[in-house]
Amino acid sequence: MSDTIPVKAVYAHLDSMLAGLDRLKKAGISGWSTTAPLPRHEIEEAVYEGRPSPVRWWTLVGAITGICTGLLLESLSMSDWPMINPGGKPVVALPPFAIVMFEPTVLGGAMFTLIGMFVHAGLPSFFLDKAIADPRFTDDKFGIVFPRAPVSDKDKIIEILKGSGAIEVTSGADTHYEVPNA
Amino acid sequence: MSATNDTAVPGLNGEPNRPSLYGAANRDIIRVLFKPSALWFFAWALAIATMSWGGYCWYYQITWGLGVAGITNPTFWGVYIVNFVFWVGIGHAGTLISAILYLVRSRWRTGVYRASEAMTVFAVMTAGIFPMLHLGRVWQVYWFFPYPNQRQLWMNFKSPLMWDVFAISTYFTVSAVFFYIGLIPDMAIVRDHSTGLLKKIYGVACLGWRGTNRQWRHFMAAYGFFAAFAAPLVLSVHSVVSWDFAMANTAGWHSTIFPPYFVAGAIYSGCGMVMTLLIPMSYLFKWGDYVNNWHYNNLAKMCLLTSGILTYAYGMEYFIAWYSQNPYEQAIFWWRMTGDYAWAFWLMVFCNCVAPLPMYWSKVRHNPAALFVISIFINIGMWMERFNIVVSSTAHSFDPATWANYWPTWTEFGVTVGAFGWFSFWFLLFSKTLPGVAITEIKEMIAPPVKGGGAH
Repeated sequence: MSDTIPVKAVYAHLDSMLAGLDRLKKAGISGWSTTAPLPRHEIEEAVYEGRPSPVRWWTLVGAITGICTGLLLESLSMSDWPMINPGGKPVVALPPFAIVMFEPTVLGGAMFTLIGMFVHAGLPSFFLDKAIADPRFTDDKFGIVFPRAPVSDKDKIIEILKGSGAIEVTSGADTHYEVPNA
Repeated sequence: MSATNDTAVPGLNGEPNRPSLYGAANRDIIRVLFKPSALWFFAWALAIATMSWGGYCWYYQITWGLGVAGITNPTFWGVYIVNFVFWVGIGHAGTLISAILYLVRSRWRTGVYRASEAMTVFAVMTAGIFPMLHLGRVWQVYWFFPYPNQRQLWMNFKSPLMWDVFAISTYFTVSAVFFYIGLIPDMAIVRDHSTGLLKKIYGVACLGWRGTNRQWRHFMAAYGFFAAFAAPLVLSVHSVVSWDFAMANTAGWHSTIFPPYFVAGAIYSGCGMVMTLLIPMSYLFKWGDYVNNWHYNNLAKMCLLTSGILTYAYGMEYFIAWYSQNPYEQAIFWWRMTGDYAWAFWLMVFCNCVAPLPMYWSKVRHNPAALFVISIFINIGMWMERFNIVVSSTAHSFDPATWANYWPTWTEFGVTVGAFGWFSFWFLLFSKTLPGVAITEIKEMIAPPVKGGGAH
């Protein structure tokens, strides 16, 4: 027998879920994950307390990579045939190059943002804990899920979750709920 | 099961009523999926038929060469380029609505942005075919792309045609990714409403999305950055397309007004096409709670604004032709108005400057049938505008000895019609397989269920 157990609480109300979250934090219990059918700033503030997502660094690096790639592609390929002198105009000319520098900036920034989102959000994630795979969470219910709660904390966690107004608290194999939404 | 009006709550700030429950939004949008009606099958069959006809015309052209198209000296840019610019323009409204209106927190975008984004992706897919058609030898299509100095080519990064390759491919990639990112939480909803194979397919497509705090946090951060990147792209892509013309020293094209003029035209045609698609879609799918007069009214106002900009630009072109005292400019603009293509010019003026005017009346903006009719005029007008620009300037260039009129052949007509079939094929498929309204964002407009109050 393992010494961890999944615990899942289903909430019908956002404020009850936030109350449960607050009590868990005050009791010093970690290892939970919230789930919601939509992004709510209250949840983000409660969980992350205003710390911004690190995805922005990916965006910055992607954009810088893009602009450098654009400039290098243009200036190196244009300079590769130096015998061509286009009417005395400079071979490497920044004003017209700005356009092809702009496009890879956007492309690089966007693609790195995508990768950054996947890395930090843990996507794709096809091998999920069954406790979190509850169809009600994309419908209209909020949830607090412990994929692996220590067995020793189980009773305390269940007490807090029930006390905060969860409409259903399950643990162990009972957390598995797969009935599709009607 | 569907949301009923008795559960609806009043909207804020003049917005329409909307369902009071998250679950209702799920069911209303998903119920139309996977159950194609006879009408849908008829429309899809029609789309496939026209697409196949276009495909045959292309096959005919590949077999016999570009000579079967009407493009010849002096008009080498015929309706293939007209169609290219037209479809890129159509593709503009989607990203405008999804990105720029997201950044300015315009709430009416929620109901219409998913379908507009789909329209953008399919329109750019359609536009992308035309340079290949125009190329003639389509098997050399890889020559479009800048392999630096391979094949003894000297890549000219000062050419607007090269800029266009970068602009269109970036625009398509970013729009398609933005479309997909927005779909992730909604495809998870479809997964959780289905069983068997569908559940598996949508489970993979949504990348195993579960809406955890970690996923939402990075998703929302990334979404904001995508919107921020897509916003300048909207303005840049059609500016670059306009430089395909404006950078050339051709009378009627060589003008600094082209970028804003083209961007305004693109947004005008795109919003027109959004109305053409969404008015029947919302009616047939009974999505009155989600896409309704409030959205049409706002789309109509966008069209009015951009129609005004276009009218100003048309007028300004004539003013500058007169004011510059450049005889070539004056000749081409006079010829556009009175020459062999005057019918295209006046049709353009009617559709783009006159037909939208009734939308100044609030009653017209709140009448979907009237807006649908006007949106058809907008589509025709914007196609004519591109025809007018592309064909007239090359047919009557500087040397009168080279003048010759251009008229598309049946091959070009066939491909033009086929492009509408290709676009409709994808859009109809989208309407039955993916949520046509962004369910998650609709939920964001619904007050969250609370026990004790305090949240908003």
